[in-house]
Amino acid sequence: MITVNGDKAAWSPGMSVQDVLRARNFKFPLLVIKVDGALVQPRDYAATPVPDGAVVEVIHLMSGG
Amino acid sequence: MSHPESSTPIVRCEVDFTQRTEYHHGMEAIKAAHKLLAEATFTPTLPDKGYTNRTLYVNVGTREIMEKPVTQQMKDIFLGGRGFGLWHLWNAVTPATRWNDPANEIIISPGPVSGTTQYAGSGKSLVVTLSPQTDIPIDSNVGGYFGPLLKFSGFDALELQGKADQDVILFIDGQKGVIRIEAAPLEPVDSHVLAEVLTRMYAEDDADRVNISVVSTGAGADHSLIGMLNFSWWDHRRGCVRLKQAGRGGIGTVFRDKRIRALVCRGPVVKGGLNNPADPETIARTGIKFHKEMRANDDSQCKMRRNGTAHIVEIMDAYDLLPTHNFQYGSHPDTHRIASPVWQARCTQETVDGCWYGCSMACAKGADGLVLKTGPYKGHTVTVDGPEYENAAGLGSNSGVFDPDDLLELNFYCDTYGICTITWGTLTAFVMECYQRGILNLERTGGLDLTWGNAAADLEMMHQMARGEGFGLIAGQGIHKMKAIFEARGWGDPKLMADIGMECKGLEYSQYMSKESLAQQGGYALTNKGPQHDEAWLIFMDMVNKQLPTFEDKAEALYYFPLFRTWFGLNGFCKLPWNDVVPSDNASTSEPAKVPEHVQNYVDVFSATTGIRIDKDELIHQSAKVYNFQRIFNIRMGKGTRSFDIPPYRSVGPVTREEYESRAERYDKQMMEEIGVDPAGRTTDEKIAITRDHRMKRYNSLVDAVYLRRGWTPDGVPTLARIQELGLDAFPEVVEIVKNHGG
Amino acid sequence: MRQLRIDLTKCNYGRDCHHECESDCATKVFKVDDPALAALHIRDHGDGKGTAILCDQCGDCVVVCPAEALKRNRLGVVMINKKLCVGCYMCIGFCEKEAFERNPDWIEPYKCTSCGICVKACPHAALEIVEVPEPAPRII
Repeated sequence: MITVNGDKAAWSPGMSVQDVLRARNFKFPLLVIKVDGALVQPRDYAATPVPDGAVVEVIHLMSGG
Repeated sequence: MSHPESSTPIVRCEVDFTQRTEYHHGMEAIKAAHKLLAEATFTPTLPDKGYTNRTLYVNVGTREIMEKPVTQQMKDIFLGGRGFGLWHLWNAVTPATRWNDPANEIIISPGPVSGTTQYAGSGKSLVVTLSPQTDIPIDSNVGGYFGPLLKFSGFDALELQGKADQDVILFIDGQKGVIRIEAAPLEPVDSHVLAEVLTRMYAEDDADRVNISVVSTGAGADHSLIGMLNFSWWDHRRGCVRLKQAGRGGIGTVFRDKRIRALVCRGPVVKGGLNNPADPETIARTGIKFHKEMRANDDSQCKMRRNGTAHIVEIMDAYDLLPTHNFQYGSHPDTHRIASPVWQARCTQETVDGCWYGCSMACAKGADGLVLKTGPYKGHTVTVDGPEYENAAGLGSNSGVFDPDDLLELNFYCDTYGICTITWGTLTAFVMECYQRGILNLERTGGLDLTWGNAAADLEMMHQMARGEGFGLIAGQGIHKMKAIFEARGWGDPKLMADIGMECKGLEYSQYMSKESLAQQGGYALTNKGPQHDEAWLIFMDMVNKQLPTFEDKAEALYYFPLFRTWFGLNGFCKLPWNDVVPSDNASTSEPAKVPEHVQNYVDVFSATTGIRIDKDELIHQSAKVYNFQRIFNIRMGKGTRSFDIPPYRSVGPVTREEYESRAERYDKQMMEEIGVDPAGRTTDEKIAITRDHRMKRYNSLVDAVYLRRGWTPDGVPTLARIQELGLDAFPEVVEIVKNHGG
Repeated sequence: MRQLRIDLTKCNYGRDCHHECESDCATKVFKVDDPALAALHIRDHGDGKGTAILCDQCGDCVVVCPAEALKRNRLGVVMINKKLCVGCYMCIGFCEKEAFERNPDWIEPYKCTSCGICVKACPHAALEIVEVPEPAPRII
């Protein structure tokens, strides 16, 4: 299990930040992502692993409104 | 995800963007019919550190034309823009004044920074009047060249009062120092024709067209309460006039009630330093820094230069936030048909789109070459501004319309008829739901089949309104008055209509689903002017990021963001460059949601323009003065207290069984976890009632927390201590109102 | 179109000249006594390498200019019409070659016009004016 924005979510081996975004349908482009407190740059989403038990924060900035 | 490496190639629109139906052939005859009613001269002056230090008062009824000085107190407390508008309006009206009294004013003020050509989004005008929809002040932030050209002619604001006895044009010639009120009996009515004709009529030659801006409305404003104003600029690459809208609250209706056909300003030739800023170098450096940020980041972030604000259509759908079928649902399988790739391909990409010089965000997209299928301009080839997100959502998904050409045609007619697209979208969604639920039927609509997605009926309703006939005339009254009309005729259950009619204070909601975000329910219903998202957009922070877990957290956001965003309208800034692009290192700042570097840019550009050194805290303090003054203004007009801050239940939770069942899993889970009630074995109706009770209690707790944070009483009245802190106790009537309401 | 080119095998970034290209550009073309305000810059990185900042007349600035102040002349050179320029600096911000210059005393920015004065000034004959095909306008 991992935590994404406070919600429990399923974990699978080899899971990347990109996989988390896909699973949650997080399509917004202006994101600030932290895995266990460490900032992940957009170019690294696919290559950054999310370990079991990780706390993932996907902060959506505002835009639009 | 739109990462830099996955940027999609730009699709070129194959339409010739210089071709459209021309309207200026009869111009000479129209001009010959003009009759001079009044004339005054003035000495054109350029601003000093952003201020010209005088305003222009015109009474179109008595034909009085007068200059007024801008006092130091006006600058200290109201700053400019919306602040000046509210101050002039306050002095013009009494608690008994209504929108169609001659005393009501329309005030247009650009703000001290407006007209800056180096920093993106610095050309806005703020328009204030007593709204025919809400009976309280409405304010609207609009692009186009009028405000900057007015200021560079010599005026920090224009006050329009009185009612003319015939259709008039007010012409302000900032090159020659002449102001004229002219009778204009033969003018075309609708904006896309009128602005085109007047731009050519008042320009002395082809090169002068760029110095002309026209404010106008259309036939819709004559027959509805939802009229808006179009502010023009000359798009010389396209060879036509473009329009930006002061949309909300019926300002265009007031304009026509005064029998003003148009305002025309001919300003001086625009150059880079006409505000005579205190520190031009800082403005130049800050502006170039932002241009570079746009160049580097826009394509991997919001693609504002390609898609404009419509870039979030598919995003809202993905997060179940795209209002669909009158805010019942948050997504639709056909959304891809009105999503940003469609608009990117449909809008002309090879030209420059910006509603004022120097806007590198350039979101004023244009869809050229639309051949109209209906209405008085059937068969004409036109350019449509946008569509912006609000139009795509309101005229599109919220009404069930998913054909892009239908949507463009609706957008076009809203604009040229001079009615607010947001309001039209939300009221159409309401009447369509009334039709779905049998409150309306073919007989009651006079034959309009208002089934979800019937764009032909939607357009016909709009054409009827513009002609002043049929059901369109009723629709143009807006949801608040429609509910009363339907009830008086014995159509439908008033409680259901109150729940599904998406209006608060008399103004229609803009196009975001607040149902699952408590903070945004407050963000809409706790606004000064009515439910518009320009005060606070907190859905992501609250619902998706879960950054605002407590009432106090939400209250803090509903303290900060409305004040921060008010400030744009005091200065003549646009909100979009604040957070529709962010610096590359924004993620590593302490408060990414506020975009700290951009906040500092605004502090710097303001200070460099006016010579008044501020910081980010003083910025909030500046806004708080005007924000609280506006709240007190509402109270003065008989509204503005807690009972007017209650939202329709549709914006808070599920009204109907279908709505509950469409998100049953979410609602059942909340019932178990948040309310502590086991949903098992309960009927949908029981569950709706339990959810409603909980959510309304929660909303009221939010209101308590927000009022406390804002320094207001539990009835929503600013306390005496708060107004003293803000210096508003300088005005005896303000003190009296506050005291009389327990503040 | 006329384009200024530099041969970096001939230019050695000012190590044995006095940046005559920059100083002649500043004094003769723009009438300012400061080579830092020239419309081209040759920078020595100190490691045997360097860079030349030149306008290649690509025309991106023509596309972004809201006032249509930037246009190609009949030789294909992008020229600024100061009468039309509103000093918005979009051209500066959107130029990928950083080829625009700004004199804090003037509102209007400026750039290389392929005039060739620097070509004559260069003691190493590293600069030349060449005729190249005009690129198609880009969407920016």
